[in-house]
Order: sequence, then C-alpha cells, then structure tokens
Amino acid sequence: MRPEDDGQIEGRALLISPDEPELVGFTVHSPEPGIREARLLSDVPWVRSLGRLDLSITTEGWKFPAPATDYSVAPRSPNSSIGRQTVKLPTLPDQQERAKVRIRAKPTAETVLFKDRLLYLLQPPLDGLFDGRQLEVPFAPFPYQLEGIAFLVPRHGALLADEMGLGKTAQAILALRLLFHQGVIQRALVVCPKPLVPNWSRELKMWAPDIPFETFDGDPEQRRTMWLISNCPLKLVNYETLTRDVELATNERVKFDLVVLDEAQRIKNKESKTSQAVRALNRSRSWALTGTPIENHPDDLVNIFSFVDPDRIPPDTPPKRLPLYTSDCILRRTKDVVQSDMPAKLIKDLEVELTPAQRAAYTRAEEEGVIHLNELGDTITVQHVFQLVMRLKQICNFDPLTGESAKLEQLMTDMEEVAESGRKAIVFSQWVEPLNVLAKALAPFGPLLYHGKVPQAERTPILDRFRDDPNCHVLLMSYGTGSVGLNLQFANYVFLFDRWWNPAVEDQAINRAHRIGQRHPVTVTRFLCGNTIEQRIADVLDAKRKVFNDLLAQADKPTTMGLTEDEIFGLFDIKARPRKQAG
Amino acid sequence: MFQESSGWLGGYLVTNGWGRPLEFRLTSAVQPNRVQAALYGPTLTEYLLADLIGKTLVEKTSTKPDLVVTDNPDALPLRSRIEIPVVALRPSASSVPDTVPLDHPRAPHGLLLSTRWMTDQSVVYELLDRIDTAVDLSEPFGRIREAIGEARKMGVTNRAA
Repeated sequence: MRPEDDGQIEGRALLISPDEPELVGFTVHSPEPGIREARLLSDVPWVRSLGRLDLSITTEGWKFPAPATDYSVAPRSPNSSIGRQTVKLPTLPDQQERAKVRIRAKPTAETVLFKDRLLYLLQPPLDGLFDGRQLEVPFAPFPYQLEGIAFLVPRHGALLADEMGLGKTAQAILALRLLFHQGVIQRALVVCPKPLVPNWSRELKMWAPDIPFETFDGDPEQRRTMWLISNCPLKLVNYETLTRDVELATNERVKFDLVVLDEAQRIKNKESKTSQAVRALNRSRSWALTGTPIENHPDDLVNIFSFVDPDRIPPDTPPKRLPLYTSDCILRRTKDVVQSDMPAKLIKDLEVELTPAQRAAYTRAEEEGVIHLNELGDTITVQHVFQLVMRLKQICNFDPLTGESAKLEQLMTDMEEVAESGRKAIVFSQWVEPLNVLAKALAPFGPLLYHGKVPQAERTPILDRFRDDPNCHVLLMSYGTGSVGLNLQFANYVFLFDRWWNPAVEDQAINRAHRIGQRHPVTVTRFLCGNTIEQRIADVLDAKRKVFNDLLAQADKPTTMGLTEDEIFGLFDIKARPRKQAG
Repeated sequence: MFQESSGWLGGYLVTNGWGRPLEFRLTSAVQPNRVQAALYGPTLTEYLLADLIGKTLVEKTSTKPDLVVTDNPDALPLRSRIEIPVVALRPSASSVPDTVPLDHPRAPHGLLLSTRWMTDQSVVYELLDRIDTAVDLSEPFGRIREAIGEARKMGVTNRAA
C-alpha cells in the first residue's frame, strides 16, 4: 500500500471593487508572516479580501495486496449433499428475524501501522464469506469457529488451544485459505504428526479445495526438489520428515509466510530436535494448534511460545505471570461453552473386582515387588517403582497364568449391548499385547486393530472400514497411535481398558468420538480394578484433572499434570528413597 | 460521504464482486464558509458531494470501478461527472425526489437511481447480478465508517480525512 498525496489547490480570493463591480479571481501572495496589510478606508479603490472562495480537499489512498495466484472457485459439485443446504421454513406472523451477528477479523493491539490495521478493518465479515459462491465449504462453520478464524487471521503469532473435537484443523485451514485469497500469504507450511498426514490431506481437500498442496514424501532427492524448487503454495510435512530434512527446510532460500504446527505439544521439550527444527524455519507467521498446551508443566506452554513468538515471554517468568504475556495470543474454548447443543459425554468409572486368579497374582506381585524395592535402599530409582507399577497394571488387565480378566468379562457384556443397538465402540489400551488378546475375544463384534505396529498405509482403510462396515462394532486402539487428531465421531462408546498416566492423553482419546459432528451422547467407560494400583493412580490423576480443566483460565497452574516422582513413590508403602545427588 | 463538525468528508472503498477490499481512499474534511455558502447557493451540496468529494475520490483511485454505490442520495449527481453508473442506498424514511427505486437481492433495503440516468438501469441490474450472493451492498459502508474512525484515532485525519 502506498499513500498517494495530491497537492492542495491554490488558494484564490475575490476582489470586489466599486469601480469594477464584476468578480475577479486572482492568486493571493502571502505577506510576510506576522505582518498584516493595512489600508486606509479613504484609499481608492477600497478593497476588502473575502478569503478563499474555492473549496478544496486532499485525499490519501491505500491499495491492498492481491493474491499472487488466481484461486479460482472450485467447481460446484452436482452432488446435492455438498455445500450449504437450506430449507425454506414458513414464517410465522409473530416471528422476529434475529439480527445476524457479524464476525470480523480485527487488528490486534500489536498491529501498529495504519495501513496494516486498514487491511483487517476493511475485510468483509467472515459470516458472509461462506454464504456465497466465493468460498465453497462442505458445511457452514459454527459461529465459534468463525471467531477462531477471526482470531487467527490478523495474528502473526497465535496458539489455538480449543478443546479436542472443536475443529481446530478446519479453523486453521479456513484462516490460511482467507490469507491466501487476500494475497497476504503466498507460501505456507503445515507440520503435523505422521499419522495425521492423511487426515490433514482430507481436510485440506474439504475446506480449501482451491489451494493446491503437496505432501513431503518420496526419496531425499524428491524432497530436496520440494523444499528448494517447488512453487506449490501450501506444503504438508510430518515432524519426523521435517527433523530429517532440517538443513533443507531452514535453507535461506526456503521462506514461509505462515507455518502451522498441529499437535504443537510435540515441541514441549525445547531441546528436542523437533523443537529446534520448527524454530529454525524461516517464517513470518507462526500458528500452533493443540488441545493440550500444558501436558505436564507450565514450561510446555513456554516452549510452544518459543515457536509462536520467541520474544513474548521474558526469561524466568514465573508461571503465575504467564497469562500476562500470552493471553492475547491464546484462544481456548471448551465444548460445554461453545456447543451447548452438543450431545452429552457421559463418563462412567466402572470399578471391577479382580478375579480370584488375578487377585492372587496381584497380591503376590505387589508384596514381592515392595520387598524388592525396599531391598534396593538408596540405590532405588523411579524406574524401579515404575516397573512394578507396569507389572501390576498388566495383571489388572489379564492374569498372567490363566488369562482371566474381570475387565474383559464386563467389556463383553457391554459390547453385546453396543452391537445390538447397531452402534460402534473404541477400546483404548496402553499396550499392544492386550489389544491382540481383546481382538480374539471380541471376534463376534468384528474388531479392528489400530496401533503403532499397523503399517501407515493400512491405517486409513482401517478407519474407513470401521466407519462403513456395519459388522465392525469395535476399534481397538493404543493411546499412542489413536489418541490424537482422528475423527471418529461415528462411535458412541469409548472404553479405557487401562488408564494412561496423563489425563490430557485420556481426554484426547475420549474426544476422538466426542467431537463436532457427533449426534448422539458418547458414553465413556473407564475400567478400574478396585483396591489396586489402578485406583491409587486414578485418585491422584482425578485431583489433577480438576485443576487441568481450569488450566488456561487460571493464573495458578499446577506444577505438573502427570505423576511426579514423589507421587510415583507414594503409590506404595516403601521406605526406600533414591540417593540425592549433591548440588 | 457525510457531514460532521469539521465539515463534509468522504471515504471510498473499491471492492471486488465478493466484497473484498482492493483500494481505499479518504478525503480531508471540507467546511464551506459563509461567503462560499452564499456564492454557491443551492448548488453547494451537489458541488461538494459530486464535484469535490465524489469525483476526486473516483479519479484519484487507480482501480476503476464498474458501479459506484453511495450511502448519500445527494451524491447521485456524481453520475454526470463520471462515465460510471451511480446508485444510492435507499433511505428508510423519506422519499428522494428525481430518483427511481431499484429492487435487488444484493440491496435488501433497495437502491435509488437518478431519473436523469434511467438509461443506466439495465446495466445496473446486470452488474448487480454479477455480485456474489453473500454481499449486502449496505454492509461495506460500516467498514468505511470504522476505517474513518480508526484514521481519526491514529492521527491520519491530520493528513487526509
């Protein structure tokens, strides 16, 4: 935008003379400053100046950037299920038409230049963009999603921390699509976990069909071409590939107007190669998406901000003061606030009694384990305790000798009900082995397995089959593979066969089903073996979950969301403690 | 174009058919003095809105529009100064002399066309049909007013508006 001043029109005055009654215009020459011209009334001709008679204005103008590429409108599909569907309803006599709420991107407090502020002030309302022909979308975004887009568009550094299932991906795609259309950005990069690349590809085709994108795959030479030569406006890369290609990705020729990090909790460890790679990218705008910006410690948030806006948080800022620096750049909404009409999520903690065989094995293992831990004395480490916890949790799932399982018995009963009602369920476990056992036991319900050992190429077809095959009633997933980014809102039941260490990960898992698009209540069953290690862990985690729910709304943040070392030691009645290192 | 305490001023936003901004221009405020008001007489408003503000804004802006829409029916005479059809948003209360109403879905409250330029009617309808269905022609005026307010806050008014 370039201001264009035009000159002021020359001032003119009017001369009125008794000898020459017609009006005469002429240019006025200014007298010396501070001196006024005086004339005697007897002077002939008698002259009186009337001041300026011509009217004049000055103008100033600004031009807005035009998109480098012509993003032509995607052809409207003849399929009537695509696009906005409207039904004409009869108007009742006393029906008042509600005023349409206009949602617009506003310049932020940090947008200081008038020309930059104008760019946002003069954009049309977002709620109208998806009503017309210009931006084809599969269905109109919810108002809170438009507000999310309005939040992202003007920000160079932003963290969209909506609760899982509220459509962060769609909001980010529509925001970057608008910036492409406005000509504000020409090159963008999306970084996401590897399992989510197919999901992002699908969502990009759905929400931004007019923005060409390419995915980083192929051999190193092909990827080199993509990094250094390809002119494709939008690129999609997974964290692992980015880390591997970091030298190419941070080459001075490679510049992005926008980098979007999905599941940004992946960079919570500032020293990790992944974190270093994303921070080294040449970029103008940095957006991070995560439903769990603080998984374990407030430092997680600080480290995400080292990508979002490195200079925003001063070093050594105490956790209580973090909101002071970050609140303008974080948008966090929860389902209960934005989706009052969303189906309920019913969480049921189902306590089951261990079978006699399980109880005997459990008691023996715990007693022997505690004795062993105490014998370790001050050589004990948290890893020793951890091993015992894992051993006991596995016994809570299945008896190691007989294979008996109190949880499985209950799950079989519940699955019969699920299958009879024609619904679908997801079962989560921490380990792959129990999932394989469950797959055999749940054979009548058409089980499908989805875990880290399933090849990447087979994963999307498995999810498609789970959605489409009426005989497949249950999907068996590991937390590590299935807890993030997947849209499984066609399932109405979630079973947590065993519990994860961190409530945030459990919430991620639950929200695969309880997300936008879900039409029925989602029932979550968290299995818990009474009077076992599972119950002790659950008690600690429940207390923390309560704090976590208010995490971003509060200044007082808990120091950690998972179990601390002291808490892990506290799970057993052991007196041994690790030797403290000096200093 | 509107009048405020410092005088008449205009804001001009050129958009594409989707309502997206292409170019924006502001004028400084102009306040006729008593002598100027007396000399221009009844032609003052037309001169201010059509010649001084309207024509200057259109001519100074590099993007040439297909249709000019004003929120002030008194600016309709601008049409005789430029080779572009001009329509005004129809005011809700009073009727405006020497105009004919135009109805179109892009302007829910209607438009006005000067009776002197009835020949523009078919072209205007043709142009309105080409505008995106989501666009309400009255909506961008809110943006312009907001931008003028912002200009005042940021001191740009000292230079232009």
